[in-house]
Amino acid sequence: MKKILLILAVTLTSLPVFANDNHRVMDHHAQHEKNQGEMNHDEMNHGEMNHGPEHSHGSHEHPTENAKEDVMTMSAAAITTTDDITAALANGGAPVVVDVLGVVCDFCAVAMNKIFGKREEVSALYVDLDKKTLSLVVNKGASLSDEDIENLAKKAGYRIAAIRRDAEALGG
Amino acid sequence: MTPSAMRTWVAALGVLLSVSAAARPVSYTGGWTLLQTANRASTAGLLHYSISHNVSVGVRHEWQRGDDVTLTALQPTLLAKRWYGHNYQANVYLTGGLGTATDRSVASLGSDTASFVGVMTDWETRTLFVSYEARFLEQGKLGNHSMHAARFGWAPYTGDTGELHTWLMLEVDHRKHFDNKTTVTPLLRFFKGPALFEAGYNVTDSAPMFNFTYRF
Repeated sequence: MKKILLILAVTLTSLPVFANDNHRVMDHHAQHEKNQGEMNHDEMNHGEMNHGPEHSHGSHEHPTENAKEDVMTMSAAAITTTDDITAALANGGAPVVVDVLGVVCDFCAVAMNKIFGKREEVSALYVDLDKKTLSLVVNKGASLSDEDIENLAKKAGYRIAAIRRDAEALGG
Repeated sequence: MTPSAMRTWVAALGVLLSVSAAARPVSYTGGWTLLQTANRASTAGLLHYSISHNVSVGVRHEWQRGDDVTLTALQPTLLAKRWYGHNYQANVYLTGGLGTATDRSVASLGSDTASFVGVMTDWETRTLFVSYEARFLEQGKLGNHSMHAARFGWAPYTGDTGELHTWLMLEVDHRKHFDNKTTVTPLLRFFKGPALFEAGYNVTDSAPMFNFTYRF
């Protein structure tokens, strides 16, 4: 029992390390907001940015620093077409492509299929392990905000790096 | 059928149905996972439910075949940290358990309270895998056990979503209450959709390893 208590003590004392890492995310957010205030938006190239039209900086957690580095190297993949996605698009659904971080195996795909597949706004979806993307088609007339997508990805156990919609999602 | 023959059949069934405890012990929010493992030391099953993306609660039952001791315990697991990369994922899990151990041998010592703590960590890309896990188990008069295991894996090809994923792996484990304390097990992992199956053979202790995981 002494050994178990010792291990528990070591484990608990190590938890602040994890908490510090979360602070880093928050610090990044604070820095991001600070930079926003200092930015000259006329000099910004919005065409290269991945912010979706419903992006809200105050409502979500940003990717960690290592995730941010990965974003810089990502190419903008278009929606992956399957029979279901093609049919959903033909019915007037809106295409969405989500770059997902940490997707390395079929368990990741199963998790996102289960979580996103339960949403009535989603008419078709596909997790592409090669592209590391989640392709969604949102029902005509329905909406799924960036914040919703981020929260659903988190419930599945993952983080998102970028969201592209409409023409950008189709590779346009 | 005699009791010993019955135990042999149960053991064989357990081996055939076994699952890897190292295969993502926390699932997506609301997800269930069945894990079974069979290796040189024990045959075990764990059914867990993920109440969030980083906490699961399950029931574990294991048979320590050498001592003929069974353990039944509640097992919570915490995903303490996950690193997310474009091409990788890494995790640290903390787990524990509290239950009862029972001596099933002829000269039975009866039952006692059992508890364990463990840590699992892994780093994985589409083609490389490294993991380490340790467990410290206390069973009162039925004995205490510790286990360490490290695993290295390589996938000869990268399977896309829903395809069969194949891994070649090597596990090294250390159990100080065994005659052969440190042993080596080469194994194959097959992974498709919600199911994962592993088959290996402990070349040091001449014992098979079969693991199975199903997520639903």
